[in-house]
Amino acid sequence: MNKKYEQLIADYLAGELDAAGKEELEILLAEGKIDFMEFRTIEATYEGLGDLSDPKPDEATSTRFYAMLEQETQKNTHAGMFERIYESLRKMISQLSVPKMAYAMALLIIGGFIGSWMNEDSNEIEKLSQEMQSLKEMMMVNMLEGSSAADRLKAVNISSELPNADLEAINALLFTLNNDPSVNVRVQTIEALKRWGDNERVRQGLVRSIATQESPIVLIELADAMTELEVRSSAREFEKVLQERELDYNVQQKLQSSIAVLM
Amino acid sequence: MNSNSDKALMLKVKKGELDKLGLLFERYHRGLYRYFYRMCRDKNTSEDLVQSVFERLLKYRQSYTGEGKFSTWLFSIARNQFNDHHRRSERIGNPVQLDEDRLEMPEETTAPVHQVKEKKEILEEALYALPEDYREVIILSRYEGLRYKEIAEIFESTEGAIKVKMFRAMKELKDIALSFEKEYNYE
Repeated sequence: MNKKYEQLIADYLAGELDAAGKEELEILLAEGKIDFMEFRTIEATYEGLGDLSDPKPDEATSTRFYAMLEQETQKNTHAGMFERIYESLRKMISQLSVPKMAYAMALLIIGGFIGSWMNEDSNEIEKLSQEMQSLKEMMMVNMLEGSSAADRLKAVNISSELPNADLEAINALLFTLNNDPSVNVRVQTIEALKRWGDNERVRQGLVRSIATQESPIVLIELADAMTELEVRSSAREFEKVLQERELDYNVQQKLQSSIAVLM
Repeated sequence: MNSNSDKALMLKVKKGELDKLGLLFERYHRGLYRYFYRMCRDKNTSEDLVQSVFERLLKYRQSYTGEGKFSTWLFSIARNQFNDHHRRSERIGNPVQLDEDRLEMPEETTAPVHQVKEKKEILEEALYALPEDYREVIILSRYEGLRYKEIAEIFESTEGAIKVKMFRAMKELKDIALSFEKEYNYE
């Protein structure tokens, strides 16, 4: 077949054909320059491709990515900090005269001695507080799997005592948000997750959760959280919910006003 | 430029706001996974390749210029990753493994093949029977919604050549699917 005709059909399949192109194609088909039967079977095959199963990645892919990103962010922060310290020291040293330099060195040595003496205590305290945090996290994750709603509520409340959350705690809370049968627990979970609203994983998890929530109370809570955290990408999800479901008038109003803020 | 556009986010990543890569991951990891999976039919390999694409984005973020569409740049990286993986696998004598779970017939299946082969299964097998470059053009255009111009950039070819390739890929796919259909129906 003529290459020009082949390009025309390819454009038609991908929906990239303009009105003039469509007309040209119709004429070629009518004149028999393009085999109509072959054209139809190719078109049907192209449409049939849409019925094939859609492969989806596991949740583990996200977990692995965010762990890598976290590691890289920390590395980057440390590198940036060292560069800044090095630059300031370099500037300072270049401005110092010899007596000033000697004086600074003496101060540095004395400071070093005092620091190492005090450091033992502060290291101990830091270690203890880290241990406390991981204990709390472990307790929270275990309690979230409990059978009583009261226990699960307590677990969500424990999360608010954690100064910062690790991936496991975030995943446990997101899992609870999407799967817990109790509306109260889910509402509290949104509150707890909001505290870490600057974490990308939390933001995306909250957005993804919109489609899974059936309860109007939870949807309203999510709408408030999304507005507060300014997660603009959630507007699309709320629009979908409004289009696909028959919601109570008040809930509709609430979602529409949140979408207006988020857009 | 919209502050949440792909380009704006990648430029922020380049400046050191690494957390912005999370949003790009959420936008593209499913598409990349689909692309890899449809190219190699192996779940683990596809997940590894998705991860390595984002590792590359981080590693070479300074080379991002913001020219052209972000998705074109991303899929060019993905294509290179896939080709590297393919070459490595062949060199060590371990070609891309097909996902055994998908290929195995269900244990209870004792009926003749033509009774269990649905049209879409036949089409799926025909897709995998296509030459790799034909399959790739179909995947990028039909499933990932890339325009021929973008695919041409990824393939370092011309738009016209990609359209011709797409037509021929579809024609061959149709022929293979028809021959498989006959084979299963008359076996």
